[in-house]
Amino acid sequence: MSERFSAAQGRRLVSRTSAEDLGDLTHLVVDVAQRQVTLLVAGKGRKAVLVDWDQVSGFGPDAVMVADEGALHAARDDHESAAADGKLELIGRRVLSDAGENLGELSDVEFDPATGAVEALVIGDREVPAASLRGAGSYAVVVTASTSPGPSDPGP
Amino acid sequence: MRLLVTGSAIRGLPVVTIDGGEDVAEVRDLIYNPEAGRVVGLTLNKRGFLSGRRREVLPAEKIHAIGSDAVMVDDENSLMLPDAAPDEVTGAPSERDVTGNEVLTEQGTSLGKVKDVVVLVGSAGEVVGYEIETSSGGTGYIPLPSQLAVSGTALVVPDPTQDFVESDLVGLGAAVDEFRSRLGMP
Repeated sequence: MSERFSAAQGRRLVSRTSAEDLGDLTHLVVDVAQRQVTLLVAGKGRKAVLVDWDQVSGFGPDAVMVADEGALHAARDDHESAAADGKLELIGRRVLSDAGENLGELSDVEFDPATGAVEALVIGDREVPAASLRGAGSYAVVVTASTSPGPSDPGP
Repeated sequence: MRLLVTGSAIRGLPVVTIDGGEDVAEVRDLIYNPEAGRVVGLTLNKRGFLSGRRREVLPAEKIHAIGSDAVMVDDENSLMLPDAAPDEVTGAPSERDVTGNEVLTEQGTSLGKVKDVVVLVGSAGEVVGYEIETSSGGTGYIPLPSQLAVSGTALVVPDPTQDFVESDLVGLGAAVDEFRSRLGMP
């Protein structure tokens, strides 16, 4: 069963070893090249903490189980600081095709909760496969034009 | 059916990297070669309010696609300093300005004056037509063959162009292919 970012946000993180509540999931951070969730952010602002995906022992429907409290860490570099500040959040970002057409806003991301693999991007009421993801930055998420309807093919 | 955009709609578009999703510049102006019928490059501004000019230019061969909403490039290395860019991109722009030129058919009928270029969306700058101010003062759109004679004050287009003066870009997009097949173009 795949999971959606929008549904996962707000889910609590729980330590598997101590059963302590570690905070609520605020952001999932995607590595675009790997098309993989690599980082989880819990909490907001200065209280934000990060967990690497490989420390997640079970991404369940009611809680995200984390190995233990030691898996929580602060931002270790600029990329992680941006993640903690929510600046890497993909949902709500403008989606451009690589043909330069605005396709709308990214409304959701589907991923496999067992592996963290990104499966699809939801743009409005349409879905495009994760393989079409080309890049993501502060301005836009870029997808391959062939996955978008319309004039991506100028013809012969 | 082709999706088309005028040069004025391209000016101000963000230049966005495909791999990074960043808006690295915005289009200041088109560098147009009327003999070749294509945009050979773009000059650039920095992004944001009160942004100044960027020294770099974007040669057409580094453009992945010109779209209605953005100009896409692979990465920021696509922007080149003038010294490194091809000569056709950095040559004198004044010789190439067709704006205001009179459009004459081979039989000597004036169709109007050039206002702007019309670029094929999704291409790296293929100009498929001109926006013209018709002699009655309205705006029209004409398709172009791939090459034509340009003097700097007038340009000469094939006679059939007269039958393809369209009132909007959608009409021109629909007419381009028929026009070209009438001329025996590929």
